[in-house]
Amino acid sequence: MVVVPKTRKEMPVTTLSVPTVGSAGKTGFWRDFRPVWVELVSPCMYDCPANNRIPQIFEKIRNGKLEEAAKIFLETNPFPSITGRVCAHFCEEHCNRVEYDEVISIRSVERFLGDYILERKGETGFHEFSAEKDKKVAIIGSGPAGLSAAYYLRKMGYKVTIFESEEKLGGMLTYGIPPYRLPKQTVEKEVAALTKMGIEVKTGTAVGKDVKFEDVQEEFDAVLLATGAWKERDIEIPGEEFMMTGLEFLKGVNEGQKASPGMAVAVIGGGNTSIDAARTLKRLGAKPTILYRRTEKEMPAVSEEITKAKEDGIEFRILTQPVKASKKNGKVMLKCIKMRLGEPDDTGRRRPIPIEGSEFILEFDAVIKAIGEKPDTTWIPKIFLNKQGWVKADSATGVVSENIFAAGDLVSGPATVVEAIAAGRKAARSINQLLNGEEIKPETSLEKPVKIEEINVEYYEPKERAKAFEFPPEERTKSLDKDETLAISLEEVESEAHRCFSCGYCRACDICWIFCPDAAVELKDDDKPEFDYDYCKGCGICSTECPCGVIIMEREEE
Amino acid sequence: MAQTVIDTANHIAAYAAKAARVQVVAAYPITPQTSIVERIAELVESGEFDAEYIRVESEHSAMAACIGAAAAGVRTFTATAAHGLVLMHEPLHWASGSRLPIVMPVVNRALGPGWNIWADYTDSMSQRDTGWIQFYCADNQEVFDTIIQAYKLCENERVLLPTMICLEAFILSHTYMPVEIPDQEKIDDFLPPYKPKWFLDINNPLSHANIVSPEWYMEFRYMMQESMENAKQLIPEIDKEYGKCFGFEHGGLVDKYKCEDADLMLLTMGTIGTEARVAVDNLRKKGLNVGSARVRVFRPFPKEEIRKLAENTQMFAIIDRGISFGMEGFLAEETKASLCNQKDQPLITSFIAGLGGRDVPFKTIEKIAEKSWEYMRRGRVEEETVWVDLRE
Repeated sequence: MVVVPKTRKEMPVTTLSVPTVGSAGKTGFWRDFRPVWVELVSPCMYDCPANNRIPQIFEKIRNGKLEEAAKIFLETNPFPSITGRVCAHFCEEHCNRVEYDEVISIRSVERFLGDYILERKGETGFHEFSAEKDKKVAIIGSGPAGLSAAYYLRKMGYKVTIFESEEKLGGMLTYGIPPYRLPKQTVEKEVAALTKMGIEVKTGTAVGKDVKFEDVQEEFDAVLLATGAWKERDIEIPGEEFMMTGLEFLKGVNEGQKASPGMAVAVIGGGNTSIDAARTLKRLGAKPTILYRRTEKEMPAVSEEITKAKEDGIEFRILTQPVKASKKNGKVMLKCIKMRLGEPDDTGRRRPIPIEGSEFILEFDAVIKAIGEKPDTTWIPKIFLNKQGWVKADSATGVVSENIFAAGDLVSGPATVVEAIAAGRKAARSINQLLNGEEIKPETSLEKPVKIEEINVEYYEPKERAKAFEFPPEERTKSLDKDETLAISLEEVESEAHRCFSCGYCRACDICWIFCPDAAVELKDDDKPEFDYDYCKGCGICSTECPCGVIIMEREEE
Repeated sequence: MAQTVIDTANHIAAYAAKAARVQVVAAYPITPQTSIVERIAELVESGEFDAEYIRVESEHSAMAACIGAAAAGVRTFTATAAHGLVLMHEPLHWASGSRLPIVMPVVNRALGPGWNIWADYTDSMSQRDTGWIQFYCADNQEVFDTIIQAYKLCENERVLLPTMICLEAFILSHTYMPVEIPDQEKIDDFLPPYKPKWFLDINNPLSHANIVSPEWYMEFRYMMQESMENAKQLIPEIDKEYGKCFGFEHGGLVDKYKCEDADLMLLTMGTIGTEARVAVDNLRKKGLNVGSARVRVFRPFPKEEIRKLAENTQMFAIIDRGISFGMEGFLAEETKASLCNQKDQPLITSFIAGLGGRDVPFKTIEKIAEKSWEYMRRGRVEEETVWVDLRE
């Protein structure tokens, strides 16, 4: 029995130990705990909606294997060149390195690797495919969710057909996100590489209009609904007919309509569409003003984009709520009321309350409303919808009904590209399970991530993070198409790989092997540890020293 | 019946081991310790001494074997000297840290180079921080008695620390003196068999000296210090009890001679203390009120007794048969440290004498005392550390 004394009075005069199960080595009963090498979850992997295995990717980079590194990305995210540019980088939010100096520039590394393989992705032999299957899957909608699902299903050997109502594939990637954030050539290359994998594409084909939903359901073994969230919400004030919607505007620009609807343009709303619209207007030479009824703190847009919008010189009128729009001499007169913040609502944000008698009128050449989108589900049979008109889908598996699945913004409402990609991947997994006759089970959720306390930071040199070059506002606002940031260099990518704490993932650094006082750590071919419990005395030095927190001390059984 | 033998301190040490019913002896011979282990080997071989004698290839191994034996729960003995002792340095810590009551005579000999086999305390003094109790003997009787007392002391649950019995090379080790050896029965009564709380047993497996994390290491060290303090209490008690049983007492922690009214006190160790008694008598005839305090136990150091002595005297003259290079004599160091924060401290002069076996007869000690008396009279110590009879 292991007796751990609580006070000095309970202690024996010297260190004594009695055998516990497994503690008897060739040198006596030394151990109450044994070191065990484990793989744990890093905060970056945990926070990434796609759960990209970032520490493994960095290991490959450190070993000079860039293509292998990129391919690990592809296992969880088929489009790193896209997320490497537009992702809200949840991975960098809780990076343990922030406790030490600065977070790792994960997104910049992702962009580098995404671009690195983009040329090769379309080549024959690049992807490994499972054996061809005779089952057919229809994917309706070709945004990030649809494309992601198409990629994984095709790799699994299914015959995949994409139905897209627009002329081009890509959904928001093609028609929503402005080109200075996501160059259209990048999207085109990704789409080209994907279609080369042997995916059938039916563009200009709206299901429910050009083809019947029932026919699709009939023809295919499984159907994935992934048409996104494109319907702009109404503000529900008089005069909305004088406004255009944010997505209408952005789609027009992305289709080549590169003229501003006017000089002074109001953009109503604080979300990503609003910021995209405003920054795009600025690049078209207009003077946009963002009107938002709460304060900047409550804006749902990615904070990085809000900052950039302000740098671009866009005017923010916060605590301003339009109450009526009217047209006068070709101008839009926007009657607004001043707001104040009250108690938090169910989103946790403070509720805006109108200040009585504070109405005022603003004059604009045009007004764009972008207060949030919702999915258009009018084309989907009613049996698949709930009372509120949303698709009845299980968010973890994408299952709607029998062989109908749904993923992306259509299910979640407007979210990020990476969330849509993750949802597409998860739906593909469920579809595969269904078509294999297996029970549909969601991916197992990840354990809590490794904390900074488990990392031995002493082994890391302080070093600044690699910062992607950003064109200054006066330069970037001149061009709509030019990528406003540059990729980081290979040297910087490698530097980031070395800075990475590799939380929860063995760095093959040999530190445990070097420190073990009893030569009880052996290294396998890949330099990862193996413990010789005949000689291990359970001192825990390997665990304490481990720079990645992957050696845990497990209590021996009593 | 008690018997009186006339023999060297080394042989006497061997008889003491036998009288203590030691069960395992592991030792490696080294001058001037050799005749201890030779005599034990003879006694074991002849069957007179019922012990396991383990032959080893070095002192390091000797101590390792003793640690193993003591951990198995038996009374264990070894002996060494000089270079043998310093080779043992590492396992000395293992023995004390494992709290094993091993008793070991150290025949104090100078460390080389220059190669020297004669008396000097630097060997055992260099081991003073190993967690071993250290006795320093003044004659052969004390060697015998202290070995018996040492087992009684260090096997006590409140102590459980190994003990060195230090005796000076040749002056004691090879010098014949009469020694009274008490009845074995009486010794057995005084010193019952060793009954450890834990021991290695193949039927009930256990391991000791294991790793201990920073959360607990300090507590183990604290307990060792506590045991030293306990030993300080027990040594005079055991010495008194021994005196009652066998008629010999050695002064507990400090063997005092005419200290009650002494203006000047000679602080010594070992045989220099024996000579100091003669010097004291001679000096008193000259009208100098001198006393002698022979420090018998160096670890634990009798701080409190030193303080008590300091209260009643004007000056300490401290004689050291050893030097801590870069500081001063060991006894002088510890004495001064003991008086820190005390009021009305006596003057102190430190004398380095008798290194490498140089004789320190009473006449030399008288000179030391007279020089110190002069300092005392003037109220000023002109030379803090005096190297006695150092050649020009």
